[in-house]
Amino acid sequence: MSCTVRIASPLRSYTGGAASVSASGASVAELLADLDRSYPGIRFRMIDEQDSIRPHIRVYAGTREIHDITERMDGENVLHLICALSGG
Amino acid sequence: MALSDTEIERYSRHLLLPEVGPAGQEKLRAARVLVVGAGGLGSPAALYLAASGIGTLGVVDCDRVDLSNLQRQILYGTDDVDRPKATVAARRLRELNSEIAVVTHALELRAQNVASIVGQYDVVVDGTDRLATRYLVNDACVILGKPLSSAAIHRFEGQAMTYVPGRGPCYRCLFPDASAAAVASCAQAGVLGVLPGVLGAIQATEAVKLVLGAGELLVGRLLTYDALEMRFHEFPFQRRPDCAACGDAPSITAPADAAAACEDDTPVLRRLSPRELVTLLRDVERGGPPVRLIDVREPAEFSAGHLAGAESIPLAELERADWASPGQGATVFMCRSGARSARACAIATRHGLREAAHLEGGLIAWAAAIDPTLRVA
Repeated sequence: MSCTVRIASPLRSYTGGAASVSASGASVAELLADLDRSYPGIRFRMIDEQDSIRPHIRVYAGTREIHDITERMDGENVLHLICALSGG
Repeated sequence: MALSDTEIERYSRHLLLPEVGPAGQEKLRAARVLVVGAGGLGSPAALYLAASGIGTLGVVDCDRVDLSNLQRQILYGTDDVDRPKATVAARRLRELNSEIAVVTHALELRAQNVASIVGQYDVVVDGTDRLATRYLVNDACVILGKPLSSAAIHRFEGQAMTYVPGRGPCYRCLFPDASAAAVASCAQAGVLGVLPGVLGAIQATEAVKLVLGAGELLVGRLLTYDALEMRFHEFPFQRRPDCAACGDAPSITAPADAAAACEDDTPVLRRLSPRELVTLLRDVERGGPPVRLIDVREPAEFSAGHLAGAESIPLAELERADWASPGQGATVFMCRSGARSARACAIATRHGLREAAHLEGGLIAWAAAIDPTLRVA
């Protein structure tokens, strides 16, 4: 299943500045793996060695918060990757 | 006390709104709102709060106006460059509305002063550009039971959320810990000048609604804005029972500075004042052990002006560096104001660099205390 992945501003250096990219996968883990194949290194900025979402990152399938990357997209076709920002 | 004739005229468009009216305007006049950071976000927020008739407006900022601020920090003009932001902001806000009181706090919020300052106000608007201060302000608001409107920006993207004690999640529920994030500041990453105008106005709106008790707040909702694509999104989030600040058994029961609150896996975050660094460098000249100076700002900032002998290693590169051989001897990290260098110092320390320190207050402090000819971009 192909999904749109919306990239947080601080992570767009990996996607050549693109705010939205496409990735394939039925679960969030599969989508992120596919994303990392296209944009190497981006997954590690969001997911730690224990496959947990890092505490400065939030992931949403549509408007449903993802707590565990094994969760499936369940018909949602947009994955939002949100990162804490610091600028003021 | 009823509104004066002048106030009735000044706030006439508010008085027409049933959600405000004379009673609401009196609430605004009686309110005390603190704006933390008189920068990109704080400028529009403070201007609108002053115009709205917030009776007492506090402004926290210890910085001075820089020419590079003027692209977005609309409290200031060209003639204000090098002047203290808090002083200039107070003058501008009083010009805008002579009916209100403006209180300046020309200091850096730290663990030892945050409660006494936040405690004087009814609502807090956080527009700081430092993650450590963002968490400090959040924690103080949770501990003191103060509502908080928080926002942040990066390049073309902004975020906003509101915390109301007892009614929803706090900023730590949203992002429990951002110390591991290589989150760039506006000085590193750039920012569209009008972006903070949108987010700061949202914060002022939330503060006014908090005072009035009107409308729906951004409680439990993260609002994101992408200026380039002109899209707003809203994401629900909930209070975490295990939140360190507002959870069922909070571990943060008193405000703590960044080294403890945001970088608690860092053994020691050694800070050097500009004068201490001068002493250290003099020791080197006299044959003491060598000191490596690493400037972690972006190359363009480094090119504009830097300390003699400093190497340029931008923070992002430092994050990706191979730390297999962290090196020996003292290393002092520096940046513009001390935030990035603190992060660099924490990274280096975690990777085994034994004598890591950073220049407190950054090159701005160095220019103020040691060398006013240094150009700090």
